[in-house]
Amino acid sequence: MKIVGIIVGVLLLLAALVVLPRINNVPKLDENVNMYASQLDNQYKRRSDLIPNLVATVKGYASHEKDVLTQVTEARAKVGQMTLTPEVLNNPEAFKAYQNAQDGLSSALSRLMMVTENYPELKANENFLQLQSQLEGTENRIAVARKDYIEAVKDYNLELRTVPGKWVAALLYPEAEVKQNFTTTPAESATPKVAF
Amino acid sequence: MKLFKSITLLMLLACLAFSAPTFPKLNNSRVVDDAGLFDENQKINLDKKLANHETNTSNQIVVVTVKSLDGYDISDYGYQLGRYWGIGQKDKNNGILLIVAPNERKVRIEVGYGLEGILPDATSKTIIQNDILPSFKKGDYYNGVNNGVDKIMATIKGEYKPAKPTNQNTPIGFLFPILFIVIIFINVIPKSEDKKKRLIPAIISGSVAGIISWVIFFVLGVSIFIAVIVFLLTLFGSNSNWSDGNYHPTSGGFGGSDFGSSDFGGFSSGGGSFGGGGASGDW
Repeated sequence: MKIVGIIVGVLLLLAALVVLPRINNVPKLDENVNMYASQLDNQYKRRSDLIPNLVATVKGYASHEKDVLTQVTEARAKVGQMTLTPEVLNNPEAFKAYQNAQDGLSSALSRLMMVTENYPELKANENFLQLQSQLEGTENRIAVARKDYIEAVKDYNLELRTVPGKWVAALLYPEAEVKQNFTTTPAESATPKVAF
Repeated sequence: MKLFKSITLLMLLACLAFSAPTFPKLNNSRVVDDAGLFDENQKINLDKKLANHETNTSNQIVVVTVKSLDGYDISDYGYQLGRYWGIGQKDKNNGILLIVAPNERKVRIEVGYGLEGILPDATSKTIIQNDILPSFKKGDYYNGVNNGVDKIMATIKGEYKPAKPTNQNTPIGFLFPILFIVIIFINVIPKSEDKKKRLIPAIISGSVAGIISWVIFFVLGVSIFIAVIVFLLTLFGSNSNWSDGNYHPTSGGFGGSDFGSSDFGGFSSGGGSFGGGGASGDW
């Protein structure tokens, strides 16, 4: 009897050792995801803020490229209404809409940048060069922020779906759900074609 | 201590296994010339300049030349390398990498979070176009890098001040008093050659060390770790090592040395992070 008691005690202790350090993992990882989401949202906002200036500069040299310019302006207007709040993160449809709007702006912008290749005077404009490097840098930061976000969501989802975390979550955080993650769009994975 | 060593080794290996591209080694130097573009004198010159800049501003600038980007985009490679090495002070994120990939003919200034304000992407781009690329096009890598570094340093000069030297700027400083306590405990408790008779003193000293470290650190993992170490040391450690006359505690030396800074001439990265700021160019 005594031996059984000791074994049970040791097992309980081991279980406590496994579970106790992870008891706060779900809310911690959840906050982590929220933080990376707002960083990503920031970078998207920053890109959106660059656009009026960029459109104005391009217009000065390539005013008859109306189609592309309107597309960019419209895509920006769509993006402007959305923010990546925790509610959006937990709502698959809203998340999808957010992603689509940002992807729409990405492709409109890349079309615009392709068009500018045809205007050597524009490409020599100091102001345009500055905007171009800022846009480049922002796209870069978006890529980094997206990767960080994807990693954070992966950690969170793994915690919810694998064993000690799964038990802890079922016991203490029954409301926690697996979160949405980004998927690469066909537009993103395809290399842009440049027509001369 | 063997246990501690193997745990550290295991953690290092785990870190290595998770990093995606293969990065060159930092080797305590601010000029990592993996592609072999500079001679010894040039390296020393650059290193001295960068070290000086760090003493005056705490900004960490590292020049790195790589043989290959492993098929990564240079901007993708750059921020990952910056994070991997942890260039820049942890609380300021004020690191800059100047990456040259001569085989891909690409160059990049990778800017840490904390310097993105004073060195915006457009400025980095201008530095690359006006100061670095003209020399690179002539094949003169050293001059290009040297000019670029000068321009970067001039731009970011006023942003940060060096940290005031404090006695406890690393958590390692905290470990010494604990180690001290541990050693005292091990010495005080009467040792018996019989392992069984050591068990109870080992449990007592282990839990006392655990409680003390809990009070100081307030981190469960650390105190459990210390408790286990003390327990094992008391249980299995041979008493002759600790209590004979050969052991002289070097009292007074703790906490006096300054681990965080690089005044010793070597270089240790501060743990800064990167978020994709900076600009790239090619030639």
